Amino acid sequence: MTSPGSALVVDDSRVNRLVLVRQLSELGLEVLEAENGVAALELLRTSPGAIDLVLLDVLMPELDGYETLASLKADEALRHIPVIMVSGVEELDSVVRCIELGATDYLTKPINPRILEARIGASLAAKRLRDLELLHIETQRELTETIERQKVALSRYLSPQISALIASGDDEQLLAGHRRQITVAFCDLRGFTSFAEQADPEELLGVLGEYHRMMGESITEHGGTLEHFAGDGVMIFFNDPVPQEDHVERAVRMAIAMRDRFQPLARSWAKRGYELGFGVGIAVGYATLGRIGFEGRYDYGAIGNVVILASRLSSQAASDQILLSQRALAMVEGLVQSESVGELQIKGLSRPVPAINVLAAR
Amino acid sequence: MAGDEAPVLDAGVLAALSASVGGDRGFVLQLIDTYLADGEAQVQAIDAALRADDTAGLVRPAHTLKSSSATLGAMRIADTARGLEMAGRSDEPAAPDATAEVLVTRLRDDWTEAITALREWATAEEAR
Repeated sequence: MTSPGSALVVDDSRVNRLVLVRQLSELGLEVLEAENGVAALELLRTSPGAIDLVLLDVLMPELDGYETLASLKADEALRHIPVIMVSGVEELDSVVRCIELGATDYLTKPINPRILEARIGASLAAKRLRDLELLHIETQRELTETIERQKVALSRYLSPQISALIASGDDEQLLAGHRRQITVAFCDLRGFTSFAEQADPEELLGVLGEYHRMMGESITEHGGTLEHFAGDGVMIFFNDPVPQEDHVERAVRMAIAMRDRFQPLARSWAKRGYELGFGVGIAVGYATLGRIGFEGRYDYGAIGNVVILASRLSSQAASDQILLSQRALAMVEGLVQSESVGELQIKGLSRPVPAINVLAAR
Repeated sequence: MAGDEAPVLDAGVLAALSASVGGDRGFVLQLIDTYLADGEAQVQAIDAALRADDTAGLVRPAHTLKSSSATLGAMRIADTARGLEMAGRSDEPAAPDATAEVLVTRLRDDWTEAITALREWATAEEAR
């Protein structure tokens, strides 16, 4: 049989301790003793969690019952341990003061074993409840930590906007599908295919890593939603799931930042013999956005002509070009210096599309 | 005053104590031995404190003696020890015949009586 708990008996009289130790042992408790308040506090502090209950004599020399009780209740680690005051009948006034100080209960000497059993039982039950409560709080804290850790881990795989959306809980409506005007930017590398054929796998992943890191920084700075990476191709959209009034401007500024950051990378690769260029296509229009995929593997994606147009503009862009659709330019006119590159024949569209290259921000 | 004096030994307290430990006579007898050993030391400590004019120094042994005595039903010495404890805690005696000097003389007699009474009780118990 396991012990129902352990008790600490604090009394200056050895005779009284012997009696209480005996009575508590009869109840199956493990019993520790202290001859005064100082020794009791010392014992409690050096054996955390080992004592479930304290039986404290009201009046003791050295540290008396009041002071011991007050110190106990002031100690974060000890204050939840129930304390039963033990007193003579003539000391009942002191008992009232002890209850006010936080004592759980009291016993008068001579101690009736049946009353002792009842009071001990009640205090230990309260202690067990409190311990369970503490355990619950601890479990809750661990759970919260796990969730936080998973959120951080998840956010490495998802665009921050998407992971925030999922974590928020009110994601269902957005994930279910909706239509919204967005700006789509497609970026990819010129010369990547032949580079991929020639380079070592390690070299290839190294170059891609540098490129993606640079892209990632620019995307985050401008609040873009990363839809996907596909080798050197990256698709980003704006104005969803977080609404952004200046979504076209953000896309253009992001593209300019990427192009600027790409220059030193391109130079260092060139030294290693790789000629890589950077091109972007940007278009604005309505798309359907939401959860795309199947159980077990969903993406948050955008579908619509605007996506196709941005993608085609990107593939027609020469090195260092940021090609805008007519509509995209109309929404950032005055903010950028640009030049027309004429009309482009776009696969899948019946009519040629005018395209504009962004030279610089104004 | 003699009529107000507490009994040297309240056998009812000892009987209740015995019942509270499941009637374990051996345990109660052992408890009496402990009391007699510790009590002797406490009486001496009180004596010594008083002779050294250390009134505050008698509080601790007087308190413990009072407490243990009451547990075993040695009521008269418990009362005297309580008086000594109070005298030690305050500068003013509660009554002219309750000065520490008066009480400590009484304590000696009370102690001798308590020893005798407890030994008699123990002998009677052992003989049962």
